[in-house]
Amino acid sequence: MTNSLGFSPLSRRQILRSSGTGFGYLALAGLLGQNRQATASEQVAERPLAPKAPHFPTKVKRIIFLFMEGAMSHVDTFEYKAALQQNDQKPGPGGGKLVASKFRFAQHGNSGAWVSELYPHVAKQVDKLCFIRGLHTDTPAHPQAVIQLHTGAKIASLTRPSMGSWLLYGLGSENQDLPGYITINPSPNFGGAVNYGTAFLPAYYQGTKVTDTGYLPNLKASQLTSLQRRQLDLVQSMNSDLARQPGAPDELDGIIQSYELAFRMQGKVPELLDISTEPQHVQDAYGVKPGPAGSFARQCLLARRLSEAGVRFVEIRQGGWDHHNNLHKGLTDNAAATDQPTAALLADLEQRGLLEDTLVLFGSEFGRMPTAQGVDGRDHNITGFPMWMAGAGVKAGFSYGSTDEYGLHAVEGRMHTSDLHATLLALMGLDHERLTYNYGGRDFRLTDVEGNVIKEIFA
Amino acid sequence: MLPVLARWWRMLPVAVVLVFPFRSTVADEAKPSPESLEFFEKKIRPLLVNNCFNCHSADNKAAGGLRVDDRNGLLAGGGRGAAVVVGNPDESVLIRAVLKTDAKLKMPPDSQLTEDEINDLRKWITDGAVWPGPEVPFELTEANPEYETLRKNHWAWQPLQSPVVPEIQHKDWARDDIDRFLVSQLEQKSLEPVGDADRATLLRRVTFDLTGLPPAPEDIKAFLADESPNALETVVDRLLASSTFGERWGRNWLDVARYGESTGSARNLPFPQAWKYRDYVIDSLNKDKPYDQFVREQVAGDLLPYASEEQRKELLTATGFLALGVKDVNQRFKVRYVMDNIDEQIDTVSRSVLGLTVSCARCHDHKFDPIPTSEYYGLAGIFNSTDLCDGLRNKMGGGGLDYYDTDKLLILSKQDEVDDAHAAQIAEAKQKADDAKAEFERVRDSADAQKPGPNGRPMQQIARQKWNRAQAQYVALTDPTATSEIALGVRDAKNVGDTEIRYRGEAEKLGPKVPRGVISVVHGPAQPVIPANQSGRLELAQWLTDPSNPLASRVIVNRVWHHLFGEGLVRTTDNFGVTGDRPSHPELLDHLAHRFVDNGWSLKKLIRQIVLTRAYQLGSETTPEHLTADPENRLVWRHSPRRLSAEEIRDAQLAASGKLDIARENGSAAKDLRVIELRNNGPEAKKIVDHANASLKRSVYLPLLRTLVPKSLEVFDFAEQGLVTGARDTTTVPTQALYLLNDGFVRKQALALAELLVTRTDLSDEAKVDEAYLRIVGRHATPEEIARVHGYLVEFAAEAEVSLADAFAAKAQEAAASVNVPPASVDPNSQAPVSDATSSLAAAQAQAAQLANPDDVAQEEEAPVEELIVAKDAQTAAWHSFVQALIGSAEFRYVR
Repeated sequence: MTNSLGFSPLSRRQILRSSGTGFGYLALAGLLGQNRQATASEQVAERPLAPKAPHFPTKVKRIIFLFMEGAMSHVDTFEYKAALQQNDQKPGPGGGKLVASKFRFAQHGNSGAWVSELYPHVAKQVDKLCFIRGLHTDTPAHPQAVIQLHTGAKIASLTRPSMGSWLLYGLGSENQDLPGYITINPSPNFGGAVNYGTAFLPAYYQGTKVTDTGYLPNLKASQLTSLQRRQLDLVQSMNSDLARQPGAPDELDGIIQSYELAFRMQGKVPELLDISTEPQHVQDAYGVKPGPAGSFARQCLLARRLSEAGVRFVEIRQGGWDHHNNLHKGLTDNAAATDQPTAALLADLEQRGLLEDTLVLFGSEFGRMPTAQGVDGRDHNITGFPMWMAGAGVKAGFSYGSTDEYGLHAVEGRMHTSDLHATLLALMGLDHERLTYNYGGRDFRLTDVEGNVIKEIFA
Repeated sequence: MLPVLARWWRMLPVAVVLVFPFRSTVADEAKPSPESLEFFEKKIRPLLVNNCFNCHSADNKAAGGLRVDDRNGLLAGGGRGAAVVVGNPDESVLIRAVLKTDAKLKMPPDSQLTEDEINDLRKWITDGAVWPGPEVPFELTEANPEYETLRKNHWAWQPLQSPVVPEIQHKDWARDDIDRFLVSQLEQKSLEPVGDADRATLLRRVTFDLTGLPPAPEDIKAFLADESPNALETVVDRLLASSTFGERWGRNWLDVARYGESTGSARNLPFPQAWKYRDYVIDSLNKDKPYDQFVREQVAGDLLPYASEEQRKELLTATGFLALGVKDVNQRFKVRYVMDNIDEQIDTVSRSVLGLTVSCARCHDHKFDPIPTSEYYGLAGIFNSTDLCDGLRNKMGGGGLDYYDTDKLLILSKQDEVDDAHAAQIAEAKQKADDAKAEFERVRDSADAQKPGPNGRPMQQIARQKWNRAQAQYVALTDPTATSEIALGVRDAKNVGDTEIRYRGEAEKLGPKVPRGVISVVHGPAQPVIPANQSGRLELAQWLTDPSNPLASRVIVNRVWHHLFGEGLVRTTDNFGVTGDRPSHPELLDHLAHRFVDNGWSLKKLIRQIVLTRAYQLGSETTPEHLTADPENRLVWRHSPRRLSAEEIRDAQLAASGKLDIARENGSAAKDLRVIELRNNGPEAKKIVDHANASLKRSVYLPLLRTLVPKSLEVFDFAEQGLVTGARDTTTVPTQALYLLNDGFVRKQALALAELLVTRTDLSDEAKVDEAYLRIVGRHATPEEIARVHGYLVEFAAEAEVSLADAFAAKAQEAAASVNVPPASVDPNSQAPVSDATSSLAAAQAQAAQLANPDDVAQEEEAPVEELIVAKDAQTAAWHSFVQALIGSAEFRYVR
């Protein structure tokens, strides 16, 4: 009997060598016997995740979004309002009773930005931050606002591609051995997978969901590596047989390289998702610990590792900010879970030089009322709330826009969700009006028919 | 009187229409004077903004069901009735509230309006509660001058032609007029069709194309041996008669019908009876129900005559088509909920049946196709006169069973009469639920909310749990699903009538009413006359499928072509508008459409005719000349390879392993779900996912809850359930490779076939390899392949003997101890029902107990345990590895 590899026109060594030159695509394409020029659309289809030049030059290569799901109370954290503190229990504009923050605020850093005592660690990093304080959105309910923040859809039942998918579609992936868009611990509700879905964009641009313990389906090899490699060689020799036939499927080279990539991913990605290999002092800096209380710390550390490896868009999430009641304790707990890890992430990114080309975005789908709800709560407020950014592309120690004297309505530097999207795309070098995809006879955009780029915050 | 526009209005160009006075929100009265508007802007609006908006406006919420930022909101009022009764301040709840004379109704809660302010409100109400109407948007005031030209010229909207079959040189080559149309265009380009496909390839192609399943080894052998000239015809007739045909082609329609078993979107609520519509579709395809009838039933089944009780149920079930779309039940405002759902229905009907993107005209006249907004709202009037019976209502921030509306169900079987005793029981339960709710709200807003109660949990949680229990008991008494056969769909509303244009698509911004009707873009049947006492869906359904409407037939024959040739004659299967593709063979398209209608809209006949053409049976090889002349094969000089669909990839593995359970699923794993929000990390979701992973049924029967698509389908470009999907993507991504390398399902099917082969002592190793090739790639193995595999098996077994020794020993020990079910594995043959009413109710209550706030959910998500599938010995392991490799090969994934 002949050795199986004897029949293979493409030995294991050849496959490995060709894949070492990036995908093995070029090397294998010649085997396909299809001596024709691919059309432009087919070229995109053949290497949909290859890095693409942005519309205009930018330093920003990737984004980490720290999503505070449930609407963090801005008037208790990052938005100090003297008038609110002075008018405790007095009638507020629009009805209701103003209630001052129970948390002490102080100015920090050279920028003198106000941060409440809930965020002592982040306060030390405040000169890195670029606040946008005039945000507003359309629907004062979490499910719709979360979906709108992630996909731009004003009507939640309209299925639209997610922000990360648009970025990946526009820019491709920096690292061909990794998913280009990873969402850690995404919402189990509020649209669920819609928030990292592609809708009508092809599945290449789908966000990959990872748990905060680093689990990714089918990533763990189902067999011993040596046996699986043997099996994969058999698969590839079968594929090569097919490739030599005239009229083989156009996607065959893509299939061949997808196997090699998958095999490499099995080796590399679990390592990347394993934070236990980080030095103890790094884990301590982030405040890594087991269990739910350590979830956000693990996510922050994972986010740094993934960004460092070149993942274009990483989203991490802390839920539980919906303090209609139990505001005092709820805020204390959630801030404790997010303060140290967030600050550690900023410091770690800076130390590694990653803040030079990584943009960090921190915030919620909307804010909360300066007025009271019940005895210890605040209701939703979509008419004015802040987020902050840090890192590549934006001014450090800067603040843009403002809400009124109580933190209720955005009055200066107003930014609708679509303006935030337009600005984020612009920071990534993309013109939100040119980043379009034709579906159903119409060019769609993340910003639909809206969106203004807020250049004032650009570094 | 409302200026409802007369029928003849439709015949006029749009510009003429717009000289009519618009009915703004105050059209009931005389045009407001500038003084009254000034009074409103100076005195009333600021008062409302400053005192009420935080709880009663679009920027916040509609507390108590009331919003005060919209005149209609004030007139309609909330739970306490009309807040404003025009001309009568004393009758207006608004005045009572601000006077604070009623102990239970004091507004604003934290302050007191001055006497002057209250007098201003009184004066405003007395003077007619004047509110400025919306400005007329530009788009509605200008008729698009290109519309007439487009109507006349765009190919898709012209009547069907009866093209003459062309004279061709390849007279002997062609078998059917379809071939003649195709080869005629090839001849014009001096291209020859390539040779015919080999018989095994052809059989695999036609079997997958017609049934979504691979040919069985015995079918392959029989077909290869059948030398009769009508061998293929015999096969085709067998496949068309098989119930697997409806499962494949029904699924194609379910893609178009954006079928899903839950709402998706903001709050994901199950549609537990959706599967009945799925089965209706499959049965209709298997019965070869005429397509025109199929469409009429789905749009207006409830209005069609029936001959039997069974048919009545079938017709009602058909209307599930209109009910199973994505819904945002967390919508605050009913008027928006209604208009969004109407839009979803218009979008689905127009794109699926007509290939038209009518929804683009919701906010402005269609930018590309001649569809004015006025016509959109003519259609909207039809659906606004229709009750959506999907078991749901809208509510912001609801939890538990809040979204479940048992009045919104289609009762198929007769319900028992409700006797007095039962009615009293219901009334009592309702009272208890209302009281419990009031108590919860009191506790929630009190200082005691977070104080521990008798059982240690916060008082608020205890109150919420009590409310949920009372609510569940009330629902249990009134839930028709307990006593009757239920389907989801639509019925005519009690109040039918025309609806208003909404400026910029904003539901509250009412323009003039427009008569219910259909769009005028098509040169076809005349505008139907809609009876005043009916919705007009019946007339719409008849108009859609009128033989003189060229779109219905063109669109469906093109869909069939797409599924048989990989892409349509018009590649944009859901868009035949100006921005869509042009047909590659316009005459052929009309020829097919004509033939289809002449053959009684029979899909089976159409499919049969197409697969028996010479063109369908071409090989897939290419030549440089062909690739240069027509790289995309639009002229059909060869048969383009087609990537199998996600369902085919899964089903073919089950077929190959011999594990496929061909019997129809009894309902769906979702059928016993309670109508409460599904969370992707919740126990109900886990049961659904586990069921899908363990199922041995055809993929069409897997539970298809939105955002919970089974992994086996998701990984290979399953249809986007939020959108009409005439053509799926076929991407190549590493997650597919990871799935084929590591997923428990794939490993299990491969092992099953390996074990089956190993036990076939009657077969030589060569014959076993050949059997695997027959089962997986539908052809005999070549001697070279057999040799290669043989070498592989030997080498693999040798290595496995050493490296897997421990695993085999453990397996043997396990077998000896008769503990043959490892904890992680699920025996798919003994599936417990996913959920029964009691346990899911208990789960709902347990969940609610923790959820004083339904938006605040558990965050933890456990990583699932991935099952390791290991063979029992080295020999089986080697076969296992080879079988899985063959499943992983690109050849398996394509039909050629």
